[in-house]
Amino acid sequence: MANLNIKSKKENSYDAIVIGSGISGGWAAKEFCEKGLNTLVLERGREVNHVKDYPTTNKMPWELEHRGGILQSVKEENPVVSRCYAYKEDTKHFFVKDTEHPYVQEKPFDWIRGYQTGGKSLLWARQVQRWSDFDFEGPARDGFAVDWPIRYKDLAPWYSHVEKFIGVSGNKDGKANLPDGEFLPPFELTAGEKYFKEFLKNNYPEREIVVARCAHITGNQEFYAKQGRTLCQNRTLCQRGCPFGGYFSSNSSTLPWAAQTGNLTMHNHAVVHSIIYNDEKAKATGVRVIDAQTKEMKEFYADIIFVNASALNTNLILLNSTSSRFPNGLGNDSGTLGKYVAFHNYRAGISAEYDGLKEYTTEGRRPTSGYFPRFRNLHKQETNFLRGYAAGFSSGRSTHSDYSGIGDELEQSMTKAPEYGPWRMGSHMMGETIPKEESQVSLDPTLKDEWGIPQLKISMDYDANDEAMIKDYLEQMSEMFDAAGFTNIRTRDDKRAPGLDIHEMGGARMGKDPNTSVLNEWNQVHACPNVYVTDGACMTSTSTQNPSLTYMAFTARAVDHAVKNRG
Amino acid sequence: MDRRSAMKQLAILTGGAVLMPACDFSEESILQAYQNLNITQSNRALLTQVTNTIFPGTTLKKAEELMIPDFVLVMSNDCLDTEQQAGFVKGLKGWEDFSKKTFGKAFSKMDQKEAEEAIVKGMAMEGENESEAGNTRQFLNTTKRFALQGYLNSEYFMTEIKPYELVPARFYGSKLIENA
Repeated sequence: MANLNIKSKKENSYDAIVIGSGISGGWAAKEFCEKGLNTLVLERGREVNHVKDYPTTNKMPWELEHRGGILQSVKEENPVVSRCYAYKEDTKHFFVKDTEHPYVQEKPFDWIRGYQTGGKSLLWARQVQRWSDFDFEGPARDGFAVDWPIRYKDLAPWYSHVEKFIGVSGNKDGKANLPDGEFLPPFELTAGEKYFKEFLKNNYPEREIVVARCAHITGNQEFYAKQGRTLCQNRTLCQRGCPFGGYFSSNSSTLPWAAQTGNLTMHNHAVVHSIIYNDEKAKATGVRVIDAQTKEMKEFYADIIFVNASALNTNLILLNSTSSRFPNGLGNDSGTLGKYVAFHNYRAGISAEYDGLKEYTTEGRRPTSGYFPRFRNLHKQETNFLRGYAAGFSSGRSTHSDYSGIGDELEQSMTKAPEYGPWRMGSHMMGETIPKEESQVSLDPTLKDEWGIPQLKISMDYDANDEAMIKDYLEQMSEMFDAAGFTNIRTRDDKRAPGLDIHEMGGARMGKDPNTSVLNEWNQVHACPNVYVTDGACMTSTSTQNPSLTYMAFTARAVDHAVKNRG
Repeated sequence: MDRRSAMKQLAILTGGAVLMPACDFSEESILQAYQNLNITQSNRALLTQVTNTIFPGTTLKKAEELMIPDFVLVMSNDCLDTEQQAGFVKGLKGWEDFSKKTFGKAFSKMDQKEAEEAIVKGMAMEGENESEAGNTRQFLNTTKRFALQGYLNSEYFMTEIKPYELVPARFYGSKLIENA
């Protein structure tokens, strides 16, 4: 590193560096490039170009050798990723295998990762529910974590900004705890869901289900054509990558948009080692990068650095960015870096049947479901646990085919149309968990990865609050299901480890006080304001909503701030 | 080293077909495509008879025409754990003798009706997984399961019998059923 000459320094200099090309990094790239900044995006994984690098996207079921199944040997060697619902034969190339990138589970944690251009934005469940002040005011009202330094009004225009661009299908429901946004036409609720919605209206007026807002294009075609995207075609094969660009990903949208400005440099196979801090200038000056293939170390320089490496990897990079000014990690004056991480509690679910609505079924496929916004402890504390849960709720007409026979009997039964069974009702919880000091990630003192970077040690777990919430969710749902006339009600607690929700958050939380938080209200590192963190690491609390929309809104807002305050 | 791993080792070393003594003291090569199963051409032929009994091709196409035996072997080789594989392979290899002993006629000599009955009875056999009956039950149920999966997901079935839509381009939440 000592021999870097001035020329290479100049060649390796940019106006802004964005670490990570996933859902928030892609947004940072788009916003910077649109504003005319020469922007470098560092992506540790391989290049994945929209459509061209979606090898399975148009495959028919019979073209998949194992009809979607994952090899037993792969499952045995990679138990963590194999537990992810989306890890299948047609999507497996977009997931990190356990064996490729080991980490330390001080407590069981299923860390699901996507190391490629676009990161996990290719794989996400595309649910985009806004937060409200019921969420942002949670820590202050209920006395946990620290107060968020912002409120809904600060983020609302940025939610709109993001929603318009990514395309969000949704219904204006007028609910204070789930604010409406810039919506394209909604998908329909099913007859079963509408029945339950109506039942709630008459029996639990404080509770309501809506159709979940999702990042799919369902209208305003001309606008999205400019991004090379078109209407969602209801394939529900999203995680393969969508040839229509029907759902939002960095690959289909923000990155090509950034590239067409001419201001984007994408650098793949770039494993970030650390952020360079210059004592004299008292600011960060660049990023140290290890080439994933050659293992060669390089430095890149910029006045603005955005860290969007995914929640836990962002923590890793900051913790590994040590200097005489920051011996315990960049911006870690408070000692809170890596701490107060949390996740969403997805352990419980419920299923049931409903014998009515015999004359209806559904047709086609829908890339979203019904959504049950939080109703527990909303206006005031009313249970023995803090906060609450949102829930997925979906219902479809079941069909049944009898394939029990063999021989001609079996062949004949296979030519018959299936018979209709009852409507099936299903729900899963999405519980808020409380960030605590003991929930943390840290650098393992001895174990290193292939590039000599310390492995991340993860330690978080369910607590009594989570257990009480699971119990309440199952009781409340069972009670409502029963009262709605549903039968065969079955509850489950699958005891999954944290992480499988893929909503890990925190570690570099935002806050008003530099003594108790890492980032300020603009997502700037308090003590190093030219470094911004706008991915999941910035989250002060978790609320119940799927978090990606909020990361994107934070990112656009932070870029605006960074550019307006450029020195 | 047990015989199974020894054979496997040898297969890796020679990189080709390994000779393995069969029951009738002739020698038959192992099918290398299914390296976890250690099965021979005649085992495969017997499996083909089983899948052709399940899908005889009287109303729809015969199993063999859709390469169902190969699909059953691919899935058994790749997607079962070693215990399940052992049950499947033992059951397959013992099926001729077992059917002769239990039903008085070797499976390969049975007509369609007899073969169907033998499979149905074999699938419902009681006994420990490790027992002969248990292996038979595992073999037949695994074969039925994968054969059905392969058939329902075959190009033929998904284009000619019940067409699959890759691009539905619609969703209706409350569609009236005709003649409901």
